[in-house]
Amino acid sequence: MRAHKSVLVIGGGIAGIQASLDLANRGLKVYLVERTPSIGGRMAQLDKTFPTMDCSMCILAPKMIEVLRHPNITLLTYSEIEGVTGSVGGFKVKVLKKPRFIDENKCTGCGECAQYCPTEVPNEFDMSLGIRKAIYIPFPQAVPLKYAIDEANCIKCGLCERTCKAQAVDLDQEPETINLNVGAIILATGFELFDIKSISEYGYGKYKDVLSSLEFERLICASGPTGGHLLRLSDGRIPTRVAFIQCVGSRSLRGGVRFCSSSCCVYATKEAILIREHNPECEVYIFYNELKVFGKGFQDFVKRARDEWGVKYVRALPGEVMENPETRDLTISYEDTEENMTKSMTVDLVVLCPALVPRVTNKELAGILGLELDEYGFFKSRDILYAPVDTNKQGIFICGYCQGPKDIPESVAQASGAAAKAAEAIQLTKNKGVR
Amino acid sequence: MESSEEVPRIGVFVCHCGINIGGVVDVPEVVEYSKTLPGVAYAEGNLYTCSSEGISKIKEGIAKHNLNRVIVASCTPRTHEPLFRAACEEAGVNRYLFEMANIRDQCSWAHMHEPEKATEKAKDLIRMAAAKARLLKPLEEPEIDVTPSALVIGGGISGMTSALCLANQGFKVYIVEKEPKLGGMLRNLNKLYPNMEDASEGLSQIAKRMKSNKKIKVLTSAAVKQVKGFIGNFEVTVEKANGKAMNFEVGTIIVATGATVFEPVGMYGYGEHENVITQLQLEQLLKKGQLKKPKKVVMIQCVGAREEKGRTYCSRICCTTALKNAMLIKEKCPDTDIYILFRDLQAYGTHYEDLHRMAQGKGIKFIKYVLEKPPQVIRGENGRLMVNVCHALLDEQVKISSDLVVLSTPLIQQESAKELSQMLKVPLGPDGFFFEAHVKLRPIDFATDGIYVCGTAHSPKDIAESLSQALGVASRAAIPMAVKRLKVEAITAVVDENLCSGCGTCVKLCPYNAIQKDEKGIARVTSVVCKGCGTCAASCPERAITMQHFTDEQIMAQALAALGRCVA
Amino acid sequence: MKTEPKIVAFLCNWCAYAGADLAGVSRISYPPNIRVIRVMCSGRVDPAFIVGAFEMGADGVFVGGCHPGDCHYISGNLEAEKRIKNTQRLLSMIGLGPERLRLEWISASEGERFAQVITEFTENLRKLGPNPFKAQVNAKSHTDMKKVISEAIKKTNVQYCLECGKCSASCPISKVNNAFSPRRVVERTLLGFEEKVLSGTDVWTCLTCFLCSERCPSDVRFPEFIRDCRRVASQKVMEELCAHRGIPTTLSRMMTNPKIKQDRMDWLPSGAKISARGDTLYFVGCIPYFDVIFENFNLELLKIPQSVVKILNKVGIEPAMLSNEKCCGHDLLWTGDLENFEKLAKTNATDLKKTRATKIVTSCPECYRTFKKDYPEVLGTFDFDVLHISEFLSELIDKGKLKFDAKLSTKVVYHDPCRLGRHMGVYEPPRKVITSIPGVKLLEMPRNRENAICCGVSAFMSCNKYSKEVRADRLKEAKATGADLLVTTCPHCQIHWKCLATEKLPTSSDSVSMDMQDFAVLAAEALH
Repeated sequence: MRAHKSVLVIGGGIAGIQASLDLANRGLKVYLVERTPSIGGRMAQLDKTFPTMDCSMCILAPKMIEVLRHPNITLLTYSEIEGVTGSVGGFKVKVLKKPRFIDENKCTGCGECAQYCPTEVPNEFDMSLGIRKAIYIPFPQAVPLKYAIDEANCIKCGLCERTCKAQAVDLDQEPETINLNVGAIILATGFELFDIKSISEYGYGKYKDVLSSLEFERLICASGPTGGHLLRLSDGRIPTRVAFIQCVGSRSLRGGVRFCSSSCCVYATKEAILIREHNPECEVYIFYNELKVFGKGFQDFVKRARDEWGVKYVRALPGEVMENPETRDLTISYEDTEENMTKSMTVDLVVLCPALVPRVTNKELAGILGLELDEYGFFKSRDILYAPVDTNKQGIFICGYCQGPKDIPESVAQASGAAAKAAEAIQLTKNKGVR
Repeated sequence: MESSEEVPRIGVFVCHCGINIGGVVDVPEVVEYSKTLPGVAYAEGNLYTCSSEGISKIKEGIAKHNLNRVIVASCTPRTHEPLFRAACEEAGVNRYLFEMANIRDQCSWAHMHEPEKATEKAKDLIRMAAAKARLLKPLEEPEIDVTPSALVIGGGISGMTSALCLANQGFKVYIVEKEPKLGGMLRNLNKLYPNMEDASEGLSQIAKRMKSNKKIKVLTSAAVKQVKGFIGNFEVTVEKANGKAMNFEVGTIIVATGATVFEPVGMYGYGEHENVITQLQLEQLLKKGQLKKPKKVVMIQCVGAREEKGRTYCSRICCTTALKNAMLIKEKCPDTDIYILFRDLQAYGTHYEDLHRMAQGKGIKFIKYVLEKPPQVIRGENGRLMVNVCHALLDEQVKISSDLVVLSTPLIQQESAKELSQMLKVPLGPDGFFFEAHVKLRPIDFATDGIYVCGTAHSPKDIAESLSQALGVASRAAIPMAVKRLKVEAITAVVDENLCSGCGTCVKLCPYNAIQKDEKGIARVTSVVCKGCGTCAASCPERAITMQHFTDEQIMAQALAALGRCVA
Repeated sequence: MKTEPKIVAFLCNWCAYAGADLAGVSRISYPPNIRVIRVMCSGRVDPAFIVGAFEMGADGVFVGGCHPGDCHYISGNLEAEKRIKNTQRLLSMIGLGPERLRLEWISASEGERFAQVITEFTENLRKLGPNPFKAQVNAKSHTDMKKVISEAIKKTNVQYCLECGKCSASCPISKVNNAFSPRRVVERTLLGFEEKVLSGTDVWTCLTCFLCSERCPSDVRFPEFIRDCRRVASQKVMEELCAHRGIPTTLSRMMTNPKIKQDRMDWLPSGAKISARGDTLYFVGCIPYFDVIFENFNLELLKIPQSVVKILNKVGIEPAMLSNEKCCGHDLLWTGDLENFEKLAKTNATDLKKTRATKIVTSCPECYRTFKKDYPEVLGTFDFDVLHISEFLSELIDKGKLKFDAKLSTKVVYHDPCRLGRHMGVYEPPRKVITSIPGVKLLEMPRNRENAICCGVSAFMSCNKYSKEVRADRLKEAKATGADLLVTTCPHCQIHWKCLATEKLPTSSDSVSMDMQDFAVLAAEALH
């Protein structure tokens, strides 16, 4: 039985990148398919990572570049999976490469076109807090560093075509179907944020200074829309008191999801430390329910936040957040467990830590691949204990958040695990053919 | 002596790293200063030198300005040195003609509140790098063969999973287990959540697959006694219980030695009262069906874990173990009252959260206590125990008269780990578990090439998490073994035979036995074994040893440059 | 205005450097006085780097390595520990104090500790004040090479060379190394090819032993010519060729600083009688004092000055001694550093004057030659009666003031050190003293007195396989006499021979192992 010595990796976040590199480094061919114009995923959006406080982009960028330069990896960005047939050793995959309207071979990433483009669009990478043009790259360290035209917002004025010195703009570009033959498939599609608006008591979407944690990351990140300055979006004031609210939509039996997203307690701690670093005068409160500190180094991290950085932890989830329409100050009400009374606290900024949920697009992918999803929408492991990266389909493996809530080190380790299983599957299929 | 050497043309690339450096150090000033240094032909500033744009700029700079040496002043060389070296090589500059100045981790980040001093320091560091760069010589990396077999130390579920995965990929595996039987901690466990099947079932399945796999050599009642060599060529000595020794060669090593459970002697009456037991002991009782129907069970979490000093870490699995066992007791004895005294209940993710809810659904009671006010266990009437706990929310004392107290204690590192860590030259972290190369991006590698770690030897975790890591190391270890040849570090010691007087000091000192005397009595270094530590070079009385890339001249030039003296 | 201390730090890549990175990553601040040099292992840190850094004005040197047992290269950090301890002793000897050199074990996870240690160290250095050698940093004055060479050619009679070849035929190095020929060096220079000579190794290979000059019909003083060439020869080549990491000359240079404060007399046994002033001054010399550099050889060089003081006390002399004794400068002069040599000469002359001494007695032939011959030349006047200890004792024996009362039944062979023998013509006094010891039988090597063969190394230069052959040769010659004991008056000779004897040679070590003793120690043994 023939076995193609190649693997399809779906999803270009840190898990997809790790799996791709492991496979490529051991001599297998990898096709890395990413839906957006650049790989990097969530990690590219973060400022720092816990518990080491490494600059996220700094540790991610070299891996992204390794992927770009690796002779064994074919990077298919701005692409989606259309169809899959076959079985382990011989999957036939149809990939739809969406038109960027840019000739990738000619584009130098110089950015002239974006200077002239008249259309401004909310920047998804910056969680819509910033602006991009219709012709854009998602972020400065994008891989590949090639522009793309967002068809839906492009007004077809043609200015970019006229100004591009490399003549890379191709407004007639068609979507391309690429056919691949691979021996195994790895899914690493990551997560999206829970729809926080549905938790109406916190005023997300109503009050400008109630942010999601990912929006906060973009604000505090030096390459973000405010250059790393933490400001209130309502009036530009520097906040003097910030409140984090945990478990927004998580651990919920009514509305929201039942599971615990696992990394929010620690990433909120990280974000709190970042605030204290940027502005030692600013008070930071974390309102939590259960402090999840089970990971390696987490407990020490939280202790440091408390003892050295003065982050205050309050074991109480607020009932509501109200805004004063004149001052734009936010008032939180909560039950103070030490004094046994309900109190209210006025803060300048509220950061909500929402549930991190599997992507809705997983459903479609599961259909294409013939995979099962669990009740929450995560791809289902063949055996939750003994075969965490296997699925019900031979030759198809899962890793990262799309398998279940986890943080970056676990995603990286599991991605290597999926790579091992993919390589193993190809080898075993090949062996069968030899017999 | 100098006529054949090229004139150094150094390019200096100073990184802003967003505001990480630029927000403290005056980068434009530093760029201008760099231009004044002897040997510097070009200098520029970049926003993110490690981005693909930054890399392109380095390559462009090399081509445009005819550079033959490159300095990047940015973060620590420990992260990006390989990336920048590769960029230089692609642009035609030997990768060892590259030097970094650490103006972030050891400058802007550590002197955030003293920007002028940090800027001065950055200038000094670049001047030092330039002094060394002027003296750098191109080096080549020798290639070595990789033995396509692996050693797995530890025959628990993690070790076995790694071994099987590697064997299925076509590699020979030696698995060494100190006990007479494979299985590790799993052999002591009862039922496993969420399937609630016996631990022995899963174990027997995997053990069967192990035995039938011809590529795996199982060595039980055995211990690793010595490991010599380096990635691709480890020489292993294993000693069996009967005293027999086995020697073999492997290309990679996996540490899967697991962990052991902390015995809380003297805590909460453990060791004093016979009905104060650990969760592990409870598993044994449940497994053997020896649990007498208790009326009131109290489980205390965080016993000897999450302490103020000492074992400060959370052991991850104790809460879920307590929940699982509480459910099992409830199943057997629906009328038993169970209390779980916790500080923060670590029931994370999907199915553990479900378990928590299920436990609540079964009427298991949860009482939160705080670190400052731990519960007390004292002898009560009729051989029962009295558990006093201060309810954190209510701030009231709750007294529970219990006939079984179960203490949830953390996993701790094995005693034998210290010896193993020294044998393999891999570190243990502050919590006693093995310390990985990088917490985020290399969680299952050691800094030493060719050695990996998985399972609870790395940190406490459950079975699925251990297996993810076990499969992960199978991938990591497969990389060098699949490629069969590896490029080895070029930074090695070289003996000048004209200066060597054959005194033998270096031969005695080398920790890797990389130096031997030849027939003429001159010392010769085996470069593939040489690790580049430089101890020999620093002791040679004749200064006959050149430590490539860290020569006496280069280091002295850096020291002089640090003190403001430039040697042209 | 208070200046901030400057710290040069050597951090090992795997632990200490990573710990420093972690401090930055965790945003833990520490003073910015530190300049880090990354090395792969703390075992790479050569004491020469440390001593060199202090010479160049570092206020503190910090070495960071892995905790014992955790060294990435197994034991490099343990070697580092040994070296640092020795270097600390060296630094206290020279008056810099061991606190300026700090060794710490810092693991990759100890970012906080790194910051704490550096903060503490910086604070300590602020209290200690700046490195007293800081002021000495001034550029070397430019020397006109052509002028130096043309003057040397005249001064040393090189211009009268007849190319007879006796020099090359006599030179012990030429005998084992065909590439070296004193005659060819002279000819190249006379033909105007001095650049080739000055940029090569030849100019540093000469032992300056004077054997060639002793026999030259044209009285060409080749070693002095070489000495002058070295003033303008390639320093880079010299640094490559010098042994013991150039530390002895570094220390000599450091002693030119007037701020240096040493305590050079801590080896004095209790009961020894010395004073700050007196008619007769005993000048010890650097080698016995800095014997920590040669610790591995077990030579117990401090016995030499201890013995001299014992003998002097026995004959009723309380010698004046300098507690802040500075190097005579011999090695600086002979490796071409005339500038610093002159500084030392001036300082020593001043210090010696203060003691009111009229007589200087020394146990080191190099100090002897330097004081007697070179100081008057360089200073103009040097009003002291300079005697070697052997001369001094010989005079006493003549006057009947010294009588040995212990019997040492042993066969001794005496080796004439170059600086005492051919340089200064002192051959008989040591022999007289030795033969005065009851029970001692004095044997002679075939090549003795003006024909003695150099021990094989000079000014710690060019210690290589050729030098080794020369040394082995001399030791075989000594052994062949059948003597039990090889006696010499020069501590340098002992070091160079012992160094050979501790090596594992391709030839049998039996043929070159021999018991050695210094002349003064032998004499002291013969006195109760």
